[in-house]
Amino acid sequence: MPMHVLVIQFSGSTCDRDLVNAMRNVMGWNVDFVWYQEAQNIIENYDAIFLPGGFAYGDYLRAGIIAAFTPVMKKVKEIAKEGIPVLGICNGFQILVESELLPGALIGNETLRFSCKWTNLRVETTRSSATNIAKKGDVWKIPIAHGEGRYYLDKVGLKQLNENDQVVWRYVNDEGETTKEANPNGSIENIAGICNLEGNIVGLMPHPERAAENIISPFNTDHGKSYFHSIENFFRRK
Amino acid sequence: MEQKIVQEKEINLTEKEKEVVFKVLKRDLTVPEAAMLEVMNSEHCSYKSSRPVLPKFPTEGPRVICGPGEDAGVVDIGDGLALVFKLESHNHPSALDPFNGAATGIGGIIRDILCMGARPIGLLDSFRFGNLADPHTKWLLKWITKGVGNYGNCVGIANAGGEIEFDPSFQINCLINVGCFGVMRKDELALSVATTPGDRLILLGGSTGRDGIGGASFASKNITEESESDRGAVQIGDPYMKKLIIEATLDAIRAGVVEGLKDLGAAGVTCSISETADAGGTGTEIDLGKIRIREDDMEAWEILVSESQERMFFVVKAENVSKIGEIFNKYELPWEDIGVVTDTGKCVVNYKGLPIVDLPAHLLTKPPAANRKAKHPKYLSKLDQKWLPKEPKNNEFNGICRTIMASDNIISREWVYRQYDTEVGLYSTIKSGQADAGVFRLSEFGSKKGIAVTFDGNSSHCYLDPYNGGAGLMMEACSNVAAVGAEPIAFTDCLNFGNPEHPDVFWTFEKVVEGIADAAKALNIPCVGGNVSFYNHDEVRNVAVKPSPVLFVSGLLDDVTKAVDIKFKSVGEYILLIGETKTEIGGSEYTKVIHKSDNGRVPKVDFAKAKGILTDVVSIINEGLVTACHDLSKGGLFVALTDMAIAGDLGYKVNLKRVPADTERTDIKLFSESHARFLITTTNENLEKIIAKFAEEEIPATLIGEVVSEQRIQIDNNNVETIIDLSLPEIKAVWKTRMEEEMEGTKEKN
Amino acid sequence: MPEFLAEIIIEGKKNARDPEGETIMRDLMIKHGYDMVDSVRSGKILKVKLEAKDDKDAEDICFNMVNELRIYNPVAHVCTIKIVK
Repeated sequence: MPMHVLVIQFSGSTCDRDLVNAMRNVMGWNVDFVWYQEAQNIIENYDAIFLPGGFAYGDYLRAGIIAAFTPVMKKVKEIAKEGIPVLGICNGFQILVESELLPGALIGNETLRFSCKWTNLRVETTRSSATNIAKKGDVWKIPIAHGEGRYYLDKVGLKQLNENDQVVWRYVNDEGETTKEANPNGSIENIAGICNLEGNIVGLMPHPERAAENIISPFNTDHGKSYFHSIENFFRRK
Repeated sequence: MEQKIVQEKEINLTEKEKEVVFKVLKRDLTVPEAAMLEVMNSEHCSYKSSRPVLPKFPTEGPRVICGPGEDAGVVDIGDGLALVFKLESHNHPSALDPFNGAATGIGGIIRDILCMGARPIGLLDSFRFGNLADPHTKWLLKWITKGVGNYGNCVGIANAGGEIEFDPSFQINCLINVGCFGVMRKDELALSVATTPGDRLILLGGSTGRDGIGGASFASKNITEESESDRGAVQIGDPYMKKLIIEATLDAIRAGVVEGLKDLGAAGVTCSISETADAGGTGTEIDLGKIRIREDDMEAWEILVSESQERMFFVVKAENVSKIGEIFNKYELPWEDIGVVTDTGKCVVNYKGLPIVDLPAHLLTKPPAANRKAKHPKYLSKLDQKWLPKEPKNNEFNGICRTIMASDNIISREWVYRQYDTEVGLYSTIKSGQADAGVFRLSEFGSKKGIAVTFDGNSSHCYLDPYNGGAGLMMEACSNVAAVGAEPIAFTDCLNFGNPEHPDVFWTFEKVVEGIADAAKALNIPCVGGNVSFYNHDEVRNVAVKPSPVLFVSGLLDDVTKAVDIKFKSVGEYILLIGETKTEIGGSEYTKVIHKSDNGRVPKVDFAKAKGILTDVVSIINEGLVTACHDLSKGGLFVALTDMAIAGDLGYKVNLKRVPADTERTDIKLFSESHARFLITTTNENLEKIIAKFAEEEIPATLIGEVVSEQRIQIDNNNVETIIDLSLPEIKAVWKTRMEEEMEGTKEKN
Repeated sequence: MPEFLAEIIIEGKKNARDPEGETIMRDLMIKHGYDMVDSVRSGKILKVKLEAKDDKDAEDICFNMVNELRIYNPVAHVCTIKIVK
């Protein structure tokens, strides 16, 4: 039986259809694509829940904040407690952070400019629902496209994040090093994505759905598939 | 009718226009009627100066579904699909408020695609500014890029390409043209027409304020010192609301509840109620009080001509109003039923229970054309077609090459396009910076095909030789598309010129249009729409922009996987030059940058051979014989070779002796901008096949060099002397980082 | 010379649309229990510490600065300068 997953469409989401198409066409999954006001009523019984990228509420006031207050996010918090994989991509990550389902903040890029480019993500842990079929140290080529993607956390929080093995990906250069040049937005410690303590809630700024097919990758790669295969593996393992 | 009437002498229309109005009406105009007629008679809305000239463009073709006259051009691309595309200018607003001007320009062009019933999937942008080093240019470039990016990214439409040209004539009057395209099922086409009396008129989206009041006729005025204080004329966009409007509109079309659809752009409500009625042979009647306004003290005429953004106009059967309302309510979008389609042929507007406007629709939509005079410009007579610069010494070429690669019109534009999302939609297979055209796949629509899109302009060529500049531009734009392996299938244009009431400007306009039209006919490519922006003239300093036609050419690939980009792929690849190089350096980057001259012969298109060359290039790419392809344009052979080397991080060695040309001069061979030339790389086994293919049409396909393992660029002249020997990483660094450095003032990597 | 603290507030013009302010009011405040809110305008604030002769001088300096350096665009924004001390 293919995975039965939910993609929540917030008011202003733009990368929702891409995520739906990638999961249907590449993974063959059964994907329900639901408007946020209807999603709050049907959110139980999914194998995984996705918060897609885009500009929910135009990113007005602060990316993700207005969406974080929607009733459906209350339900997402409850479902997440049960250990169901909850995945946030880009704007989805911002919503998870503003909903306090993941620690930290995503603030404006250091360059003060929106940035769209392909980055190298190094897998830091295989505990998370989105990396458990990978090996630590694997490098995935995944693109970013954001203006507020700079991950920030204070010293205390950062120490905990590292000690608890919650950093999932870091930006690295072609040699696999976390250099300043490899960091597209000034994120602290080149952090690109993190998970919660249990590992089921994962947020990242880059877009794996844009990297799951060779033809749309300038490097002819499809590392995004590893993200989705991991989620399936995590779910089935439970 | 109870409304203040306007004295004839106060109405801002020409004598001829007034004559036409009063001949039909035989009574005084009310204030709102006068305002509506003024706006619809403005250059921006009526195209009065250009209408007599534009029919020169060929508009027929087996693929054409909608040509000029509709909101966007529509062409049949097979597999039951249609491509919808258009480009538009937003010059004057962007010059004063670059962020909002550029943003609302994007907002406007998106609506044009949406109102044909297609989901907009790609954007292109074209900018023209003064010299890059100028602080004013930097200010404009920064905010216009942010405006385009902010709107396009937020609304979730990928940027597929664009172009930027720097020239002092655009210092005050920058030119900002934006394009959009979408793909749809042919049978879902929506037209902007109200055909059935009794149908309801629905207004969806943002509230109506004083945005852009005088916007349409404002765009027709030249920029003066007063313009800078023409506050309140710029519109503010809301891409978030636009995104919801896109989804709601597409849902409504899929639900089959839309009879007619029109976006509200120039002239706002006035345009919608008149154009839909005129197109349908019907009439419209609305209650102005139903329109949601943003400021309580707005007068009736202001509501009618407001250009507030993010508004769409729907024609809906009475029984479907509640159904479409449900769709709009789902997206929490405000909407009103403002009126009804009638059979009177008139546009009637009621306000507070009384009629305040009662005009025949055609009076608004078909104002009289203006008869402009044309006169051969004096400056053209002073030019010398035979002029050639002094030939540089051998040891000067390295320096010349470095200077050209670092010049405004050659440097990498990465600083700009990295601020645009190029990936959203999962369509883009060849992206900005990778090739001569952007390529989008159509797998989402169940097709193996691909769309190639390009924007192109060359004001220097058009300035020195309007006819040949125009023709050459068409050839160049089609070459961009052919260079990725796509057959050019249709074009739309934006014609940016100075004041059409100046006979020399109008003469130039006519010649440019003729040139483009003749080349389009030779290449068998129809025009499916266009846009004209006049009055790009700085009255204070008396500078008109150089004639700046911008072409948006679309191409079709039968198999999107066959598309190629420009980068050198491997050491040992052969480099072939297709076509002949002629002594045509007028308006070239070489003469402008190195010799600081505006003189000489502009490249001419050989109409007889043009189509054959493009067909053969597309053919060999689709047969898989080619590893990379790049067409030659600004900067000629040297820049094209170096572009390919930089993209692939591989050096090259080329021998100019082998370049077929009508001259022995090294600089001409390197920097001439003759059209219909391509660089192709290929492997040993395909070399002969390629040469033979072109030989059939008597087109030279010449082996001029190869891709080497050294990170160096080496070019030998006719006497086998190495006159160019440069480090590739050094040239790449200069080319890649100059714009970043100019804009950020640092040497930081992007 | 004495130091002053100026608050420079840049907002959209009153008759220009403010989609950010509207959305914050409609989708955040009104929807979540704060329906007594009538209107929200969004803007940007710069808190500037500067040396000047006196209040008036500080204000003049800020006025020249915001215009010359295009800190606000008079086509789309209004700018208010308050010397807070």
